[in-house]
Amino acid sequence: MSTGHPQDRIAITRDPIPHVQIAWDVRGGANGAVATFDGCVRNHSHGRSTLYLEYEAYESMALAKMREIAAHLHANFAIDRVAIVHRLGRLEIGETSVFIAVSAAHRGPAFDACRYAIDTLKKTVPIWKKEFFADGAVWADGELPPVPAETPGAKPAS
Amino acid sequence: MLIKVLYFGRLKELSGSPEESVELRDGSVIEDLFAACSEARPELRRFRASLVASRNCEFAAWDTPLDPGDEVGFLPPVSGG
Repeated sequence: MSTGHPQDRIAITRDPIPHVQIAWDVRGGANGAVATFDGCVRNHSHGRSTLYLEYEAYESMALAKMREIAAHLHANFAIDRVAIVHRLGRLEIGETSVFIAVSAAHRGPAFDACRYAIDTLKKTVPIWKKEFFADGAVWADGELPPVPAETPGAKPAS
Repeated sequence: MLIKVLYFGRLKELSGSPEESVELRDGSVIEDLFAACSEARPELRRFRASLVASRNCEFAAWDTPLDPGDEVGFLPPVSGG
């Protein structure tokens, strides 16, 4: 597993996400921009009123995939620090389920990297959302992550 | 060989437990593991087309060979964020 960028904050939590603090903490003196994404619990889904959500994760793999996203950001965008924090458990309407913050010298890479991070998280990080309504509950329609087409020859290090 | 299997989301509800240990013949691949799990719980089969598998925290093709002690996850479509 990569050691990652020392000042990145990649985490899964069951507590409310301190998004103001996280956005502040990614700042550095060389930065002219911090872009953030605040994913919050919506009060409706497919025309039904949502009461609350429950999130669960394959935590060890989810953290590994979130670290991969951060590594990709550092390798492909002119950015400084990355924070990706996802919450699990029961979340009420309006609460933050995921928060991403990226700092950079300039706004373009900060926006681009932040957008890439949330789009990729939704496709590749093993986290699941169950939606609770007045008349029942359903697992949200999700995305099937891309999988290697065939078995790689080399055995991955364990 | 003994393989640790993890279920998530609707699969966890269906299987009734988040994980189990499954004994497989040496040389088995992930598809064999899913077949073995489906023997005990035939309802799993209808989810096969809408699942991806992981081996030791990496997404893995269904023909991936398994080693003793591997951890395999059967993952429904993800919906984080």
